[in-house]
Amino acid sequence: MVFLLQYIYKLLSTLSIKLGTGDIAKYPFLNEASDYIRETHFDFEEFNRPEMRHIINRAAERMETELISGTIYQKLDKYEVEILTFLVTLMVAKYIGIGLILKKYSLFEAMRAERFLSEDLKKERNEQRKHLLLSKIFEELFKVTVDVDSTDNRLFKVRVTDYLMRASHFHEQEWKLINRLVHMGYVYLDAEETVRLIRSELSTLIYNRVKSMTLSTFPETIKLKADELRVKLVPKYEHSIYRVTGYYPPCIRHALKVMNQGENLPHSARLMLATYMLAIGKSIDDIVILFHNAPDFNEKITRYQVEHLAGTKGSHTKYSVPSCEKLRNENLCFATEECSGIINPSQFGRNSKNYNG
Amino acid sequence: MVSSINNNSYEKNIVLLRSAFREYYFKHSKIIEIPERIEEREFGFMLFEAGMIRHLSFRNIGELLATLIKEVPSDVYCSNAYYRFPTYDMHEKQWVGADLIFDIDAKDLHLPCEAMHSYIICANCGEPQEIKADVCIYCKTGKLNHVSIPCNKCNYGLKKEVKHLVDFLISDLGIKEKTISIYFSGNNGYHIHISDIEFHRLDSQARSDIIGYLIGNDMMTESIGIRKAEASSDGFLVKFPKSGMMYGWRRRIAQKLGIDQTSTTKLHNMVQQKGGYSGFKAELLKMAKDIGVRIDPQVTMDVHRIFRMAGTINSKSGLTKIRCNNEIESFDPLNDACLLSDKEVNVEMKVPIKLKLRGQSFKIRKETARIPVYAAVYLICKGLARVN
Repeated sequence: MVFLLQYIYKLLSTLSIKLGTGDIAKYPFLNEASDYIRETHFDFEEFNRPEMRHIINRAAERMETELISGTIYQKLDKYEVEILTFLVTLMVAKYIGIGLILKKYSLFEAMRAERFLSEDLKKERNEQRKHLLLSKIFEELFKVTVDVDSTDNRLFKVRVTDYLMRASHFHEQEWKLINRLVHMGYVYLDAEETVRLIRSELSTLIYNRVKSMTLSTFPETIKLKADELRVKLVPKYEHSIYRVTGYYPPCIRHALKVMNQGENLPHSARLMLATYMLAIGKSIDDIVILFHNAPDFNEKITRYQVEHLAGTKGSHTKYSVPSCEKLRNENLCFATEECSGIINPSQFGRNSKNYNG
Repeated sequence: MVSSINNNSYEKNIVLLRSAFREYYFKHSKIIEIPERIEEREFGFMLFEAGMIRHLSFRNIGELLATLIKEVPSDVYCSNAYYRFPTYDMHEKQWVGADLIFDIDAKDLHLPCEAMHSYIICANCGEPQEIKADVCIYCKTGKLNHVSIPCNKCNYGLKKEVKHLVDFLISDLGIKEKTISIYFSGNNGYHIHISDIEFHRLDSQARSDIIGYLIGNDMMTESIGIRKAEASSDGFLVKFPKSGMMYGWRRRIAQKLGIDQTSTTKLHNMVQQKGGYSGFKAELLKMAKDIGVRIDPQVTMDVHRIFRMAGTINSKSGLTKIRCNNEIESFDPLNDACLLSDKEVNVEMKVPIKLKLRGQSFKIRKETARIPVYAAVYLICKGLARVN
């Protein structure tokens, strides 16, 4: 009964208030932003009008900041400007058509929203508005229920399973469940931690928005700006496609393919990839480059981790390639007939080598 | 554990086991639990003389029972996973989820009584070994197996560990008691099955994180408020986390250390006594391991595994894997899971033995004995006797 009353209260409080325009400016991926575009009958050809130049330049500036400087775009304008700027960035990313660039841009946009959202959750004193934000972003978009702790409103609680489905793929030790406050099926987090949980999904949401965009023609002004940007971006992103040779075992080929698409490989797959490359004699530098396409790539951290696996840093224990059985358990095995008789990916191709020789 | 060097004796053993197992499946079919969503599960049989068969599927319990009585497998397994196509190859099955399962085995508890009731048996010739060696002292080739006749202390230790696990599952992970099924494994351990559908969707990685939580792996000092000071290698700061020390692992550690949210100075002194940050970190890791639950990590992590099915016989002992949720306190595996026939058969003993099964004490010193089938099967499965 108590839970029912709490639920009804929450529902009523959510219905009685609406998102402000400031929220839509910060979170332009929300359905309310799309409604705005629809309700104002905005025609994309309007981007060719001179007064729209400001928006297009702003969109380019935002993409350059994120994709070239590698920093989050901080500026925040009024909602009409933000919604249109965001729309232009999506159209530019679509027109450029390079998957890796889109992946990276989606991740930065997710991190930009993450920053606003954690600030809002920390500063918002109105409990109803706090609930509304949680429901609009976490529940409506990602089906994750987040509640404010009843004894300390600086804390948020998420179901253990919702937490594990996301945080178990993070690399840092602090995200391991044992290092969290866990009680009666909930994990308690502060605002930043709560928001960090959905970074990957937010990034995928933005990525999919662009992927599913169907545009027969692009406004000329957007095409011109996209071409300018492409010239700047291609040298930075083109070199990092790692060649997938036919000689790697299928598990490694699959991981490389995922990595080349700029997708987030789980920790276990990264460990497999790095230990395998070390086992076949690749240099640390070569292996670090291989991870360049990871959306959360950080050269310093990656180098340390690879050196740790190689046994040159940290515990000074050289890690071996996980066995086929372990990889099967972790859903990382994509065995083909060529794998028959091997129990570790590092044995792949040894027989055929002898045969060929 | 039915070794094969003496073909005549081996065949006689198999005949007895098959007959006892068939009678069991015929008479005790109600004990066999129907797995939920049976049609989405993969089944596997270990056959007495033909190895393992996997990728089987049954539409209902009747179909399964008929096959058990006809084929009489030595062991019956069922996947924890649900598949769209359970009979296809592993890559084509289309995994849709899996029950969460934990395995507590006496061998992982390292109980002091273990050495008192363990035997080393050659897997090739079946002979017990009087001395510890790398290969069999008789046939010089065989792999050596350790078998154990669990005692009351083993059972007590196992139950204590089960209760410890259940406490973690309910009070920390919020798993509802009614979704927790506790089974005696049929040999020397317990299986804990969680049917809560919220946990079905978790992949191997997420389950691995649950294991780390339960066994007490990778605990950081920071999670209880001790941070490394940048200035020196062993310097530290104490500031309790804002989410408090009242629940979960933090409560367990606080209880062990005798501290609460107000004990900043006390904790500071404790860390200093351990030589600073690194010393305390090592102490905390050890403490967490001691407090954690002793489970087999591989079993829980594997989302494609086939598990011994509840209500079927374990060929390592002839005992039944049986549910014991409500009677865990009074549950006696050597009585409550011993369900084979009590007709008598002659056996040849390999070692003198003393044990209690189904309330009856057996002290067999002579080389041959006439004992009930349930006791004969138990000793044959353990490799300590053969059909005479």
